[in-house]
Amino acid sequence: MKGLIENRFGLLALVLVALGALYGVAFVSRPAPVPEKAAQQVKVAVESVSMVCPDPGGGRMTAVTPLGGQGTPSGNDGGAATVAPMKGGKPLATLDKVGALWRQNVPVRTRPVTVDGMGAMAAGLEAAQTTQVTSGAQRGLSGVRCVEPGAEAWFIGPGPAAADVTLHLANSDAAPADVAVMIYAGEGPVLSDRGNGLVVKPGEYREVKLRDLAPSPLVMAVQVTTSGGRVAAAIRESLGEGKGVDWLPIAAPPSTRVVVPGIPGLAGQRELYVAAPGERDTVVQVKAVLKDGSYALKNKESVEVPAGSTTTLDLTTGVGGQPGALVLTSDEPIVAGMKMTGTGSMQDVAFTAGAAPIDLGSVVADGGPGKRPGRGGGKQESRLVLSAPFTAATVRIQLLPQHGAPTAPVEVTLPAARSKEIKLTPPPGAGSGFAVHIVPAPGSGPVYGARVLSEETGQGVLLTAQPLALARTWAIVPATVEWPGVVLP
Amino acid sequence: MHSVTAIVVAHDGARWLKETLDAVLRQSRPLDRVAGVDNGSRDGSGRLLTEAFGPSSVLSLPRSTGFGEAVHEVVRRLPRASGGQEWLWLLHDDCAPDAHALHALLRAADENPKAAILGPKLRDWLDRRVLLEIGVTVGRSGRRDTGLEPREYDQGQHDGVHGVLDVLSVSTAGMLIRRDVWEELAGLDPRFPLFRDDLDLCWRARVAGHRVLNVTAAVAWHAEAASRRRRRIAVSDDHPRRIDRRNALLVIMANLPFWALVRSVFRNITGSLLRTVLFVLAKQPANALDEIAALGSVLGHPGRLVQARRARKKGRKQGYAAVARLLTPSGATWRRLADMIQRYLAGEGPVDSAGRHHAMDTSSEEEGDELLTDSGLFQRMSSSPGVLLFLLLAGITVAAEWSLFAGGLLGGGALVPVTGGASDLWRLYIENHHSAGLGSDTWAPPYVAVLAALSTIFLGKTWLAVSVLLLGCVPLAGLSAYVATRRMISYTPARVWLAATYALLPVATGVVASGRVGTAVILVLIPVYAALATRVVAGSRRAAWGFGLLLAVGTAFAPLVYVVVAILGGLAAVSFAGVRRGVGLSLGIGLGTPIVLLFPWLAEIVREPRRILLEAGLADPALADPRLGAEALLMLNPGGPGTPPVWVTAGLVAVALGALLLRRHQTIVAIGWGVTLFGVLLAIVVGRLGEWPGVPLAFAATGLLVATALTAHRIAEFRAAGGLRRMGALLIVVVAFATPLAAAGLWILNGAGGPLRGDLPDPVPPLAAAWSPNGERTLLLRPEGGRLAYTILPGRALYIGESDLRSPAAETARVGTAVAGLASGRGGADVQTLAAQGIQFVTVPGPVDTALQRALDSEPALERVSLSPTGGLWRVAGTVTVPPPGSGGETLHRTWLWVQAALVALVLVLASPGARTAEQVEDYGDAPEPTRPSRRRSRNPEEQVPA
Repeated sequence: MKGLIENRFGLLALVLVALGALYGVAFVSRPAPVPEKAAQQVKVAVESVSMVCPDPGGGRMTAVTPLGGQGTPSGNDGGAATVAPMKGGKPLATLDKVGALWRQNVPVRTRPVTVDGMGAMAAGLEAAQTTQVTSGAQRGLSGVRCVEPGAEAWFIGPGPAAADVTLHLANSDAAPADVAVMIYAGEGPVLSDRGNGLVVKPGEYREVKLRDLAPSPLVMAVQVTTSGGRVAAAIRESLGEGKGVDWLPIAAPPSTRVVVPGIPGLAGQRELYVAAPGERDTVVQVKAVLKDGSYALKNKESVEVPAGSTTTLDLTTGVGGQPGALVLTSDEPIVAGMKMTGTGSMQDVAFTAGAAPIDLGSVVADGGPGKRPGRGGGKQESRLVLSAPFTAATVRIQLLPQHGAPTAPVEVTLPAARSKEIKLTPPPGAGSGFAVHIVPAPGSGPVYGARVLSEETGQGVLLTAQPLALARTWAIVPATVEWPGVVLP
Repeated sequence: MHSVTAIVVAHDGARWLKETLDAVLRQSRPLDRVAGVDNGSRDGSGRLLTEAFGPSSVLSLPRSTGFGEAVHEVVRRLPRASGGQEWLWLLHDDCAPDAHALHALLRAADENPKAAILGPKLRDWLDRRVLLEIGVTVGRSGRRDTGLEPREYDQGQHDGVHGVLDVLSVSTAGMLIRRDVWEELAGLDPRFPLFRDDLDLCWRARVAGHRVLNVTAAVAWHAEAASRRRRRIAVSDDHPRRIDRRNALLVIMANLPFWALVRSVFRNITGSLLRTVLFVLAKQPANALDEIAALGSVLGHPGRLVQARRARKKGRKQGYAAVARLLTPSGATWRRLADMIQRYLAGEGPVDSAGRHHAMDTSSEEEGDELLTDSGLFQRMSSSPGVLLFLLLAGITVAAEWSLFAGGLLGGGALVPVTGGASDLWRLYIENHHSAGLGSDTWAPPYVAVLAALSTIFLGKTWLAVSVLLLGCVPLAGLSAYVATRRMISYTPARVWLAATYALLPVATGVVASGRVGTAVILVLIPVYAALATRVVAGSRRAAWGFGLLLAVGTAFAPLVYVVVAILGGLAAVSFAGVRRGVGLSLGIGLGTPIVLLFPWLAEIVREPRRILLEAGLADPALADPRLGAEALLMLNPGGPGTPPVWVTAGLVAVALGALLLRRHQTIVAIGWGVTLFGVLLAIVVGRLGEWPGVPLAFAATGLLVATALTAHRIAEFRAAGGLRRMGALLIVVVAFATPLAAAGLWILNGAGGPLRGDLPDPVPPLAAAWSPNGERTLLLRPEGGRLAYTILPGRALYIGESDLRSPAAETARVGTAVAGLASGRGGADVQTLAAQGIQFVTVPGPVDTALQRALDSEPALERVSLSPTGGLWRVAGTVTVPPPGSGGETLHRTWLWVQAALVALVLVLASPGARTAEQVEDYGDAPEPTRPSRRRSRNPEEQVPA
């Protein structure tokens, strides 16, 4: 040993051997790469939902909580939903039965009605208002899904120069809402001080004529934002006598890919509205997803949208009377919607707009009228237009009648890049109406759709559409971790 | 007929006195009487006087007597001479007159009957041709003016036409004054025990209508011992420069008539301030201090000035005309200032051309022996390789960390954004119940106290302390390594290499990039540990206490350091305990002190052994790489952000392997490699456990560096050997220096940033902070990698150390569920749960995730306050009260804090150098003030002064 150390190379050899051993230890003990484990997300039943129906007076209101959304299987206890005028007063109804549709005609001048659900009745609670006027300037079938108060809402449709556009703002919260309205017209953003600083006090309801903010736009995209508080916003378009009336559905916020679902298989004009609220001009590629496939429409492959403005594109000849959806892609975030006109000597319009996929299911409170005809006398038809623009999907459709048991779910398969139109027939016990609950089967691709109500009258077809919105049944609970390091970016 | 009495005043001037006395006694015009005064000399001056003049002519006075007082004392006892004009010839002990000096002076007095004061031409004692003075005048700023260039040789160029010059004043060295005038003027003013007394006397003589003459035919050689600090001044403790300046101001202000005085006060105040600034700019802080102190002393004692002015009242105004034409003209000041600035810009420093007698002149180049003694602090500092290395490393650091000086908060990696001040940290350390998180009863970790103390030193600015520690860790580690190896390694290039390589280790750059303050402290401390350890194993008790204290500091920041040191110390104890007595005890002190000082905290750590591997700050697993390659660990590279490629340290390892081949130092090299292998082994263990192996790798690198640097002087031998060996030496040097150079280059190239950033905003939005007067809490949410991370802030950003506190488990779980529910947007009572815990605000830093924003917006109990690209803020509707903190446990905690403080004080006392061991003080070397005079004396051979 001594000799080894005293040898010139002995120590070097020893150290090299030790280093080799260390290398071996480090090499062997090196752990295998751990695959990044996706954090698991848990879905829980929503426990509290509140929404505002902007102006149901003179029409019918429907509200329903679908089955299967409750945290507990026998979840009828401990929850209730209240339908009440926002300004206070006697509640219109108190709902406590899951799966049963509530439907009631509401007297004129009721103004906003709030629908609040707690506990078991909250999961998936949905409400809508549908109004039918058979003559006069307001002739038409119009409906809108009651909206949750929020901090931002987008709308797109004809502008104040083409229609009487009324913005309904309702604040059902306890805090005042400071609202700003931004209008993107065909010529660019409308800069107006009057759209800023609208303060809606708690419990207050306001109607704003957009003509006062911007009289000239023929087409427009409207962004309603609050810098404080929340507001329930809705826009009603009245195009004039014989031209139709309807509510604008809330459009998906600006995104580089927008799916506009719910084009019904009915004849009539189809006009696409696209707005690019960003800072740069963009070219939007338009693809239709129809019954027989997904393709670009001839001569209407794309539309140029200048920055900050709204453009229209007539797709009447392209889409024709086929049911389907549009997929719009662009480099810049866009907002899109569509105006659909019914045929006849007196026209009616319906609007659809960019929507989110219904991954966790969707509920339509007003699925359609029952066997008994509506007040107008004509017969309303209800259809679901479903599209799977990207990958194949399977959805289960369940009808929830006003009285009686819900029907057994029907499975509908949507091949990839195809649309399907399903006519809804009222189930037994539907009474004066039914609701629809649509749930994509696990493993399905994104599904978009809308429910379209139409009614043949002597003067022409009355029309309204409601894009399917994600049901407020489930909330995705993220995995959380307490970690002081979040103070660092 | 003249009668001349020579008065020689001696004070510790034996060096010169013998020659002076010889010269006095050998005058060609014999003296009528001689008198000597010994002001308490301790070097035998008194004896020399007695031998020369006889005991009856020598007066002994106390040590603190000034020159003027001494002369007064003699004159008072001196009987009047019978008949003729009586003269006093004042002489310093370091002033030797020429043999014909008195003769020439008296002849001049005969030729100029109005002359009352006469002085010889003064030349330098050492270089006998150099002119010192031919009379002195003064500017209105109090500046002494000899009218001579520095180091001017006397070639008779200034001699007067008739051998005399009319001057304002002459020096007291060799001053011949009429006794009646002396008595009329009350002689030298005892207010000026030193310097400018001559000026004052002559000024008064001039005012009284007498003439003051410099007789250039008479010559005296003057050593100017007091002003050149060749002897200690016993009269005052102040620096002679300061006394001189003060007296100059006093003389001017006392003798000027009123209006001239007013002007002079203003010009002196502005002038003094200007000069102070100039001195500071010229990096002569001592001069600056003297200048301003002198001014302050004059202005601060108005009584003294008033008294002096009253005494000089008579004829001051009338006689001023005679004085004024002899004063330095006022334009000269500006010319001189311009000169000074010009010289300063030329890099010569403000040399005072003619003020050499008293002034500011430490300019050593004028004197041979001054050059030997002291080259000035600045010069010494700037020529030290250690300082140069520090500056170089600091430059590299600044170049690399450029992006970190962004003006925001410093934070990232393991470091929470640094906010708060020293008082906040102290409060955090001593309080029992913390408001951080959901409230916590855990005691704050001890490193908080260390940081608080550091912040206090940095004027309460925690960010400054942390920035210096963390961002400056590279130059600090380099300096620490350089200084610590002073006693171990004598070959300076090796020390420079060691320090540079150590400072730029991958661990160091990794420390900066990932914001690891703990390892930064360890990195600076390891060389100190090594230096102290060598003294501990040598048995030094005091070093053991210091080692223990510093080890406690290091352990508080990174407990792993204690494990490493304890194992190495145990091995050392086995090897050295038998060799020297007391080593065991010293080691016991060194290793025991941290345990005692940190006891409760260490007990907690031991209960959760994994915390041993953690360090101060956030334990983010993303900062360490558990799959670090084996080759990286062997190359001392800890992985993680900010570390250079593996090959950077290859040169170091190669050179260290080469050192194994040297047969002469095998033991040291073997020990060094042993430490390295141990460190690497520990690093493998730590790294595979998923933590950052910085600390063990730093130890490993230290072993390697010391082993290599200790053998590095062989390089010089190789180089001297020439030929192939010379080439080998060159190769080794190139390989060795490749490591620090490559590390520095890559560091600058890639930047020091990483997770660490210098532009962080306060995590709590200003609105939330402003609306949380009672410490209402803010919930901070941030989606990260599919999960939602959150923390609860007490209405302000976290202080450093607060992230280590634990909140009660039950409440944490409840809040966690509520946060998840809130983020899902399910509605329900989650907000109420959070509000019950005192949470008033929910904030999401930007860019805000849309799903999360929608979920928060949909919550009716939350009001949105703001939303922008920088973040969103929501407020819980209604008022929220923070649950009161818990109580209890105060006594125990208080007691422990007092005990801990007392223990730290005790260890500090035991570790600090004592008076008994003065020889040890010199070892530190960086405390030169008290030792400098002694060194200087020893290096200043007396034989340079002709005896």
